[in-house]
Amino acid sequence: MVEGLVHPSCSVFKTAMEKTEKEKRHIIAIEVEDIPGVLSRISTLFSRRGYNIDSLTVGNTHKPGVSRFTIVVRGDDTVLEQIRKQSQKLVHVLTTEYLKRDNAITREFAIVKLVYDKKTAIGINELVDLYGARMLSSTDEVLMVEFSGTEEKINLVFEDLKAFEVLESLRTGKIGMRVGR
Amino acid sequence: MSQSKQIRPPRIEGSEAIVKALENLDVDVIFGYPGGANLPIYDKLSGSKIKHILARHEQGAAHMADGYARVAKKPGVCMATSGPGATNLVTGLANAMLDSTPIVAITGQIARHLIGTDAFQEVDCINITMPVTKHNELIRHEKDLVPAIESAFYIANSGRKGPVLIDLPVDVLKASYPHEFQNEIRLPGYNPTIKGNVGQIKKALKALGRAERPIILIGGGVVLSKAVPEFLHFVRTTNIPVLRTMMGTGVIPVDDPLFAGMIGTHGNSRANKILTREADVIFTMGTRLGDRSFIKQPTFAKNSTVIHLDIDPAEIGKKIRADIPIVGDIKAVLTDMNQRIAKKPITKEKPWVSVSKRKSKLSTRDNAEILEGIFTKLSSIDMKLNISTDVGRHQMWANHFCTNPDHLPLLTSGGLGTMGFGMPAAIGAWFAEPDVPVVSISGDGSFMMNMQEFTVAVEHEIPLTVIIVNDYRLGMIRELQHSLYKNRYTVHDLGRTLDYKKLAEAMGGVGMCVTHENQILPAIQKSIDSRKPTLIDFNLENISKSSHLSWDTKAS
Repeated sequence: MVEGLVHPSCSVFKTAMEKTEKEKRHIIAIEVEDIPGVLSRISTLFSRRGYNIDSLTVGNTHKPGVSRFTIVVRGDDTVLEQIRKQSQKLVHVLTTEYLKRDNAITREFAIVKLVYDKKTAIGINELVDLYGARMLSSTDEVLMVEFSGTEEKINLVFEDLKAFEVLESLRTGKIGMRVGR
Repeated sequence: MSQSKQIRPPRIEGSEAIVKALENLDVDVIFGYPGGANLPIYDKLSGSKIKHILARHEQGAAHMADGYARVAKKPGVCMATSGPGATNLVTGLANAMLDSTPIVAITGQIARHLIGTDAFQEVDCINITMPVTKHNELIRHEKDLVPAIESAFYIANSGRKGPVLIDLPVDVLKASYPHEFQNEIRLPGYNPTIKGNVGQIKKALKALGRAERPIILIGGGVVLSKAVPEFLHFVRTTNIPVLRTMMGTGVIPVDDPLFAGMIGTHGNSRANKILTREADVIFTMGTRLGDRSFIKQPTFAKNSTVIHLDIDPAEIGKKIRADIPIVGDIKAVLTDMNQRIAKKPITKEKPWVSVSKRKSKLSTRDNAEILEGIFTKLSSIDMKLNISTDVGRHQMWANHFCTNPDHLPLLTSGGLGTMGFGMPAAIGAWFAEPDVPVVSISGDGSFMMNMQEFTVAVEHEIPLTVIIVNDYRLGMIRELQHSLYKNRYTVHDLGRTLDYKKLAEAMGGVGMCVTHENQILPAIQKSIDSRKPTLIDFNLENISKSSHLSWDTKAS
């Protein structure tokens, strides 16, 4: 039930599995009419019913006027079911769907700005190669890099980045899509 | 030439479009209160056939719309201005939300270019009312006005009913634009399920057919879906006994052999036992099984099969496990079931619950017998009445002892427990059925929460009887302090200074004070016969002294 496509031997994955039955993390994808205030409706609903959001991302889709939320929440199965049903009741919500480990692909995205000088260049280059990252800009010994992958992979990136001097960083929440039609 | 022949839709002001749309939606009455931001609507309303009832406080207007909707069985409309007008509606909206009453609230908003600047009488109405409405919408363009109003009525009155609020900036109302009236509601994300799943219906009937001790539990949803005839046909054909929640009043007569009592904290212990321990199949419909219906969630009916029918899928599995969930409108599902059981009967020989016509056993403390007496006598009045209650001890007693089917269902605030609901709701109910006198049952505490609305009844000469069961205190608070706080009575004393008779007269109505047991029925009868707005102060202390019944003299 834990999201992501990552090898079970990965330590991060194990920690996720060790979470109690009650506090599992779930991903829910919600398509909405792109109308002003719709983010507020979703977030009000979640906070009002006491659902804990780990991350929330929203953006447009290929359909005109349709936006899509990917929300990671914590709770047991009853809570998840309630979240989906209560969200579906919002008039501007078009569809809701669970994304599960065995039926979906999820990704996270990160941008990191770090000091890139003679001392660190080799190490950083290795890191960029290892994670298939992209260099975005490099000025005055400052490098901006883009990473993408599963949450677990991005977790590992941030672990490895501890060896370097990070000036600024950001992670998007998780985005995901069901496999197949 | 050809250009001049082109038919252009006439230009119309936003406020006029709103009024026309309301007329097209068969709105006959609006309960409201004016202010700067909604005055354009009032300006156009003056020439309309729609009646406007000026409440004395916006909360009153919202409760009137609520009472109206419950009796008229169509959305009630209330209106308020921006800022404080809108915030005063909030309690009424929350009340309608929790009792699933269809109301449409129209609020004025400050002009679009001022929104977000903390302008005079500006509040973020949409975000404030979001959690207490089924849906709300701020209208940013004139062209959206009419579709929004039409959608509001449709959303409020379909699926699981509830309040919908439309927030209208004053400059949108004043703007003139070319408008064509055409019905086009576009709500791609809103598709309530009406018909039940056939497989689930068959499964449910099979389980009921096999059951040895089946029970049906009904809530307010049966009333809301107007499914009473279908329901009675179903239970009388199958001989399955019926329990109800507080909101399930008036569906099945109390003297019906199949009626087995009311569940809940304020219900009958026998009914609670039947539900939680004895029944083997529980068919529950139109109830969300709130925390006042039963408390011990994990152990609820753990050995029985639960069939849960509700129009709102989110209610299924929310509080109790449902073995056979059915999402759909109760009327539609029961119609389907009735056709099936006609072909393939599941009739029990006789109801398994032997229903002795026992009296509901409520507390015997603090004038309980007098409360019982008042409501039993009220129930003996043989005519159609619309009765509302307020919130408190009197509400529970009324729920047990107002038993005349012509007086039911009681208009009562079940989910939110809104003190001050009763009298405005009764006033609203009268506008829905002006031929039927209305009675509002209040405690002295509840009555004072919205007593200004009595002047509305006087203004419109409403045949309203307000029964105040007056114990000079907050009776339910006292009861709770007795049972939960070791008799440490505080803050429940309302003093003895208010003279209700004089108050009624000062507001232009009729006041009466009942101090003797044998005056109870004559006073109620006189008030109803007079068809005048009347306040009756039932002074429990004096009535108690006049009767053989005991009065708890240990009262602080």
